[in-house]
Formats: sequence, C-alpha cells, structure tokens
Amino acid sequence: LPGGWRGPGKLSQKADEYLREIKEQSMLGEAVKQCVEAAGHEYDSNTQKSLLRVRYSKYLLKLIWAQWLVFNQRCSVAASFGKCFLTDFSPDVFVSTCRELRVLNAVRESGVGLPLTHTQFKQMTLQVLIDRLVYRQFYPLAIEICRYLKIPDYQGVSRVLKHWASCKVQQKDLSDTAIAQVICVKVGDSPGVSYSHIAAKAYECGRTELAIKLLDFEPRSGEQVPLLLKMKRSQLALSKAVESGDTDLVYTVVSYLKNEMNRGDFFMTLRNQPVALSLYRQVRIFIIFITTLCLWDYLCFSDTCSVFGSCVASSRLDSRLSVLQSAVDEYNKAKNEFAAKATEDEMRLLRFQRKLDDEKGAGLLGLSLQATMEALLSLGLHKQAEQLYRDFRVPDKRYWWLKLKALAEKEEWEELEKFSKSKKSPIGYLAFVEVCMKHNNKFEAKKYVSKVTPEQKVKAHLAVGDQEGAADVAIERRNDAEIGAVLSKCPASNHLLIDRLNRARAAATKK
Amino acid sequence: MAAHLSYGRVNLNILREAARRELREFLDKCAGSKAIVWDEYLTGPFGLIAQYSLLKEHEVEKMFTLKSGRLPSADVKNIIFFVRPRLELMDIIAENVFSEDKLHSSRDFHILFVPRRSMLCEQRLKEQGVLGSFINIDEYILDLIPYDGDLLSMEYESAFRECYLENDQTSLYHTAKGLMTLQALYGTIPQIYGKGECARHVANMMLRMKREFAGSQNQILPVFDTLLLLDRNVDLLTPLATQLTYEGLIDEIYGINNGYVKLPPEKFAQKKQGESSKDLPTEPKKLQLNSAEELYAEIRDKNFNAVGAALSKKAKIISAAFEERHNAKTVGEIKQFVSQLPHMQAARSSLANHTSIAELIKDITTSESFFDNLTVEQEFMTGVDTDKVNTYIEDSIAQKDPLIKILRLVCMQSVCNNGLKQKVFDYYRREILQTYGYEHLLTLNNLEKAGLLKPQTNSRNNYPTIRKTLKLWMEDANEQNPNDISYVYSGYAPLSIRLTQVLARPGWRSIEEVLKMLPGPHFEERQQLPAGLHKKRQQGENRTTLVFFLGGVTYAEIAALRFLSQMEDSGMEYIIATTKLINGTSWIKSLMDRPESQTP
Repeated sequence: LPGGWRGPGKLSQKADEYLREIKEQSMLGEAVKQCVEAAGHEYDSNTQKSLLRVRYSKYLLKLIWAQWLVFNQRCSVAASFGKCFLTDFSPDVFVSTCRELRVLNAVRESGVGLPLTHTQFKQMTLQVLIDRLVYRQFYPLAIEICRYLKIPDYQGVSRVLKHWASCKVQQKDLSDTAIAQVICVKVGDSPGVSYSHIAAKAYECGRTELAIKLLDFEPRSGEQVPLLLKMKRSQLALSKAVESGDTDLVYTVVSYLKNEMNRGDFFMTLRNQPVALSLYRQVRIFIIFITTLCLWDYLCFSDTCSVFGSCVASSRLDSRLSVLQSAVDEYNKAKNEFAAKATEDEMRLLRFQRKLDDEKGAGLLGLSLQATMEALLSLGLHKQAEQLYRDFRVPDKRYWWLKLKALAEKEEWEELEKFSKSKKSPIGYLAFVEVCMKHNNKFEAKKYVSKVTPEQKVKAHLAVGDQEGAADVAIERRNDAEIGAVLSKCPASNHLLIDRLNRARAAATKK
Repeated sequence: MAAHLSYGRVNLNILREAARRELREFLDKCAGSKAIVWDEYLTGPFGLIAQYSLLKEHEVEKMFTLKSGRLPSADVKNIIFFVRPRLELMDIIAENVFSEDKLHSSRDFHILFVPRRSMLCEQRLKEQGVLGSFINIDEYILDLIPYDGDLLSMEYESAFRECYLENDQTSLYHTAKGLMTLQALYGTIPQIYGKGECARHVANMMLRMKREFAGSQNQILPVFDTLLLLDRNVDLLTPLATQLTYEGLIDEIYGINNGYVKLPPEKFAQKKQGESSKDLPTEPKKLQLNSAEELYAEIRDKNFNAVGAALSKKAKIISAAFEERHNAKTVGEIKQFVSQLPHMQAARSSLANHTSIAELIKDITTSESFFDNLTVEQEFMTGVDTDKVNTYIEDSIAQKDPLIKILRLVCMQSVCNNGLKQKVFDYYRREILQTYGYEHLLTLNNLEKAGLLKPQTNSRNNYPTIRKTLKLWMEDANEQNPNDISYVYSGYAPLSIRLTQVLARPGWRSIEEVLKMLPGPHFEERQQLPAGLHKKRQQGENRTTLVFFLGGVTYAEIAALRFLSQMEDSGMEYIIATTKLINGTSWIKSLMDRPESQTP
C-alpha cells in the first residue's frame, strides 16, 4: 500500500486507481490498519510518516492538512477529520498510535537513549516508562509525556513532581531556601503531591531545616505534625497543631511532649500556647478529680480560680481555709484586689459560722452571708446578725429588706414597728405595706400607709384594698395614670367612686 | 415526617438524608441484633435526624442510657455505644465493658463517636485495658443538624464557653468541618464575610480544608451566594434582652430543647364530659415546635402582642370552616367536607394548644415583675443611667430573685455602658457574693473573661455611637404590622441582625467605624468556583445568605432574619446556622461554674 504513494504530495494516478481497487474489495480498512500497526513498529520516523499517511492518500488536500495537524500534535482534530473519508476505521487506534509513536520517538532520541520497540512499550506499560524516565531523572520529558498523553494528575505529573522534588532535596550544592523556593514554584498546589512526603525525604538526607521549610507548604496539619515531632521540633509541631484547630491533634502533641520532655520544659512549652495549655488543663482537671493527685503542679501554672473552686466545694473546713489562704496569696500576686478581699471575707465568714455552729449549733457553715443573716434572724439572734451587717458593710437597703421579711415571717409585728421607726427607712415604706399584706396582716399594713411617699401612696392604698383613699390621693395629685390605676381596681358596683374618678380625669385632661 | 425541611428556599432535607444514610451504613456494619447505649446528651440531637423506627429497621432492639455499673441485660448480638468523645464517658464505658465480659462473652462491642473520634479517648480506653474489646470504633460526623426549614444547629451547648473561657476551639473545628460538608452537598459558597475572632478562625480553617481537597473540584451549582460568620461576642447584648416574640417567650419561660418544649399540664387537660378535677395529668405536656405545624409557623415570629389577634382570627376561620357542613347539601359536597376533616381537626387542636400556651405566657407577661424587668432592660438599651447602681437590680438582689436574672441585668448594664465604673462594678459583685455565696466568684470571673461584666477602661463608652449608627433603638416599634426588625424586642433591633441587614445593603463599608468598635476583625474572602458554575441570576431572583452564629443565636434573632427574608424589597433570603439555640438564661447558665448549686 505505501508503494502506491511515495513522497508527499505526489499521488499518482496509478496509485489512486490501485487504492480504489483495494477499497472496492473492502480491504482498504484492513490495509490501513496494517499500515498503522506497521508504523508503530517502525523506527525510522520518515517511514512511520509514510505509513501513517496512507490513511489520507485518497484526498490530497485533506491529506496535507491532516499531516500538518498530526505533526502539530492536534491529533484529535485529525482523527475527526479522518472519519469523513474512512467510515469503517476507528480513528482512536490511529490517534493513539500517533501519540505513542511521538512518545517512543522522543525516548529514542540519543539524549535519552531508550530504544524501545512498540511491542516492548506495550508490555512495559506507560507507567513503567515514566518511572524509568524518572529514575534517569528526565523529569521535564516525563512531565511532557504525562501531559501529552493526558494522564490524570495523580498518576502522572504529580508523581513525577514528587520524585523530582525528593531528588531535588538531595542536591547538596543548593541552599535550603533556594530548594524550598524552587520546589514551591514547581509543585505549587498540584493535587496529590504531599509536601510532607518531600519533607520526610529531606529529613532523611539530614536536611532538617529544609524539611521544616517544606512542611510550611503542607496544607494538611495531620501530615505536618507527626513529622515535626519526629524531627524533634515540638514547639513548631504544637503551634501547627493549634493552628489547625483540630483539638485531637493538639492532644496528640501534648501527650507526646509530656513523655518526651522534663517537667519544666513541658510547662514552658505549654505556656507559650494558651490553647494547648487550656486543653491540657481541662484534661488535667479531669485526671485530678479522678486520682486526686498532684494538685500543686497544677496550681503552679493555672490561673488559680477554677482549681480553688473545686476545692472549696470538696474539702473540709481546715483544708478549705488553707486553700483559701493560698488563693488570697495568689490573687494578691495577680493584683486582683477584689477577689483577694472577697476571699478574705469568705474566710472571715467561715470562721464566724464555725464559732456560732459550735456555740449554738446553728448549722450555718457554707451559707452565703445573706443566708447566714437570715438564719440568725429567724433564730432570734439579732445581735449576731447586726454584727455581720456591720462587719461586712452590708448595704442598708438590703439589710432592711432582710430584717423586714424576717420579722414579718416570724410575725413579730411589734418588733417590726420598732424597727421601722429606728431610722428613716432606706427602702421606703411601701415595702412594709406590701410585706405585711403578703402575710395577710392588713391591720399592720395600714400603719405604714401614711408614711409612704406621695408617688407611691396610691399603690399603697390599693395594696391594702382602700380604693377610696387611693382615689383621694390620685385626684389630689391630678395624675391621669394613677386615676386609671385606681379605676381598674375599682369594683364595678361602686358607681359613686367611678363617677368621681371619671370627672377628675376629665378635669385633669382638660388642663 | 420531615417534610417541613424541604419547603424552604434551600432543601435541608438533603442534609438530613445524608446523615440518615450514614447512620444506616454504620448500623449495618454491625450485623445482627443490637442494643444502643446512649450518651444521654445525644438523644435530643439524634431525634432530629432519626426516629426510633429507623433504628428498629436496622435491628436495634434495645436502648439504654449510659451509666456506670453493669449494662442491663439484653439478648442482642451487638452493644453499640453512641458517645461524645469525652474522657469521663470513656471510664463509664470501660466499667460497662468490664462488668459485662464476666457474664457473657458472646456480645460484640462497638463505639460510635459523635461527631468525631478522638485519639485521647481511645488512649483512655487503652489505659483502661478495654480498647481491644471493640470490634468497630467509628465516628459519626454530625455537625450541622437540620432543625427546621431554614435553620441548622450543631446543638453544641458549650461552644461559647469553650471558645471564650476555655480557649478550646474544638467547636470551631467542627463548625468548619460542618460547613465543608454543607458545601459538598450544596456547592461551594463563593463569598464569605465575617466579624470576630472565631469567625476569622473558622474561615481560615475552611480555606485551609479546601486546599487539602485541592484537585477534587466541587461540581455542584452553588445554592448559597454568601456565608456570613458572626461571633456571638460581637453582639453580647441581644441574648441578654428578654425576647418578645411568641417563640422567643416560650423559650424564655419554658425553654425549648432540641425542638421540644415541656409545659405545665393543667391548661392542656382534656375536658371531657364535664368531669375534670379527678385525674389531671401530672406529667408535663411535651410539644414539638416547628414549621410542620401550619399555625405555629404563622405565629411563632410575631411579637407576642400580635399573637392574640392572630389566634382569634384563626379561630374564626376554623369555626367558619366547620360551619360549612351546613351548606353541604349534595353527596359530593359532603364528601369533600369529610375529606377535609382531618386537616381541620388538626388545625383545631393546634389552635387549642397555642391558645393555652398563649394564656400561660400572658399570665407572666402581664405580671408586674415582668413589666418592671422589661422597663429596666429598655432603659439600659436606650442608655438611661447605665453608669449608676440600678435600684431595681439592688432590690431584686435584696429579694433574692434568681441569680441568673440578676446576672442578665447586670451584664446588660455593663454591655450598654461599655463596662461599669469600678465602684459600681465592685458594688454589684459584692452584693452578689454576699447574697448568693462566695462560690459565685468563679462565675463572676467567667463573665468578666467573656466580656459580659467588666470594669470600664479608659476608653469612652462607645455604645451610644453604635446604637445611633445602627439604629438599635426604634421608638414606636410597630408590633402588630412590623416594618422593622426592632419589633422582635419591642423597640430594640438586634445588633447582630442589623449587621446582617447592612451587609446586604448598602454594605459594610458604610459602617466601617462601628465595625472597628466591635470586637474582632471583619473580613471578606472569595472562593473560586470552577468555570461553568457561575450562577446566572434571573431578574428579581433573591440571593441566599447563610448566616452562621458562632456561640449561639436566639429565637428572636431568627424571627428578625425571617422578617428580613419576607420583606419584599430585601432581595435576600436567609438560612440560619448556629452552634446552639440560646436565650439569656441558658447562655448565662453555660458560663456559670457549678450552676446546679445556686440558690433557687
């Protein structure tokens, strides 16, 4: 068949006829196929070309076009083009042969020197060919081939890049920075290239610094951290783990560090990483609770409060006091005056409670100051309550409320009246009215109504159920809202009052 | 069963189905009959994903609660522990396994960690010598749980505390992972905005995770146009305020947990044939609240003052519908009427329920103490006397009102005054310690650390500027027919939602100054979409924003966002995601140390 056609562009009449004959015998397809296969086995590129050209011999112009396409790497165009004049021959074979031939020709070049036959190539597979190229460090060629043959990145370019980078890191003549730079530029974000893998190689070659630089490019912290630990860059590993936000990874590093480092270094390392420190602390708290071990090494670096909290709850009074004392010291050191003072107060209160518990069996221990005073008042220990009130500088208002409620609770009405007169009530007298009413003592409640400030008087009258009185005050004050309030409480049967209020209201609004 | 999830702008049922599929796959890994031992905390969130029937289909025959000691006997082949990765739970599991081995030896053990397995926990199991007893140790990645048609929650209660107090960013890691899962199902979100430290951290992790997956391009057409990440600590004020929407008030008063609320039973007693008082139910009435219930979807986001009118309107419609039966003359008409009956009856019972709930709430909202409390809140929010000791707070302490109520108010005053004057600050703290006990020093410390209750530093109070620029306070908010989000708090427009609103229009550049006053950085990131996935928007088509509240969101804020979605000219629809649904009480509680020991 090739005989019919020699030399580009010189299709003889005879050959054409020859071809037609073949085609008529439906053998053209087979003939073409053979030619294509033969081309595959041919070493000389010119012969390959002529064999391949057979396909197109039918139409000269198209042929030239096709040749141009084929040798300008645009095989797919050529293939689709080929379809139009040879229907029963699959262009795929042709295209793939063309591509493979280009590859084979490339590796047969003297610079590479892999004189493979097509059969050999088919047997060894492309993967192996690329591997061989990689081992012989023909990286650019290998990458070109991968791209040309459109091998998926994971099996192709990325694999080559990985090998390349692993090899690059062994070049002793280049500086760490230079290598890292070059690798970063070349590899970029190629999928499937693991920087940690490259870094591990660098580390194997004794280039730790380079490895660290490379790890910086690794997006997966899960890969970064173990290697950093292996390289004994624990600080860095820790900060990378923290950066990743993956708590589990942080734990991994922390527990590794704990086994590897001495105590002091360990704490120092953690100190620089607040996140890790607090995670460790949480675990420690848990472990402390379980084993009740080494509270002290915990206190050494905690910010104290949480630990003390747990102690306050759990231990006996003496130990509680001593823990509180050390809390005071810690708070003072931390210049937290308020907390120090509050803690001292608590200690004072605890001692006071113990004393009274011992003397009177009052059962006060552990109560808040307010609850303690409440308990004292209900036990009738007014003097002691008074003492606390003064010692702890309890605000008057709160103390008055407390005493008011306590006395009402015990129905000590006389005492209450005395108390109300002891000085001007800081909480006003409406409170007295309301508390008495709460205990259903209208008689006592009424005593205080007159003392209530004008603003609250309506409320006070209403509280004791005295609508008339409330109405008087409201009308006198010409306050629309108050008149409304009285009206809403007024029983519907009391027409007289309602009328009066309505009139007053109308008058008030007129003004 | 979960149809209400698919009605929204974004079909969240896809997410739920993905979660269910994974659960089935795990269950099928353990062949044969099974018993599940539950970490109690997980049952609520799981209920949103799968009912018992699903488990039953996969041969789950028994369910237990995880507790120490011996496992209850059950004739099953597999024992599966569903647990969070927590050390204390590992010890309980170890105990369970030990006491088990002596009795039977034929049962297989498995662990399913939710949402992620942890090296530390496995280590712990190893130390306890039981790690080898487990055939499967797996993780069930349950980060974002579809909660309603437009709402996702991680149901991660301690997220705020962990982030701001304990410096533990695990929850943020889970958030980022959850958002990656979401993007795998709903497409890459092209634009990310954020405000706050945690937001920044989550965005960083997301971008990093995306790099890890480099090479595998997501080919799904993006459903969300924008992601907005908001730190809770950017807006500390909103959760402290009492929510005034219907749903918000239910949550404030009774607490909604995993979509359920427990109510006092008295109002719900079925009054049948006149006999009543004999057997009133004593068990609390448990109701599920979500948009599957038509009436609830209609009224949940209304200001409570508008709920009564809505309910009576509904009552009229329903009774009119029942009256229709008199008009039904022909057989065909009667048939049609009957076919509507079930729907009508459901509507009627739903109406009865919500009327009862509204009555319960009304009893409280009309009380004097509720009114006084609200007045003080509103004074603070409008900036009245925030620099002095407040008499109402003082009195409430003297009355020993619940500590959380006090803390909410004090924190609110502090936030609205950008920190309290040292004297006021110390006074409140002393009052609290003396009244409620010294142990609350820890809680006060926590609140200070979280920035909720702090002394004023030299810088001037910038809250008034923020309030004015963002129009946080609107006089005469219209509660019945709202025209602004401020209706959800009867005047106060939640800061977080204002930020969201401004972002949509005219953009954050217009409030640069205010953003600088709020804590944490604000940022914008873009994620490249593969070519061909750029959405061609049709005329008038709304954009969709996913707003993620890191550290919790309140129902009132959600209501405000829904209101914005429904506004005709907003051009934006919102889907809401959060670590947990919170209210002021549950939030403060999560920041307290040993809240269980507080005086009632």
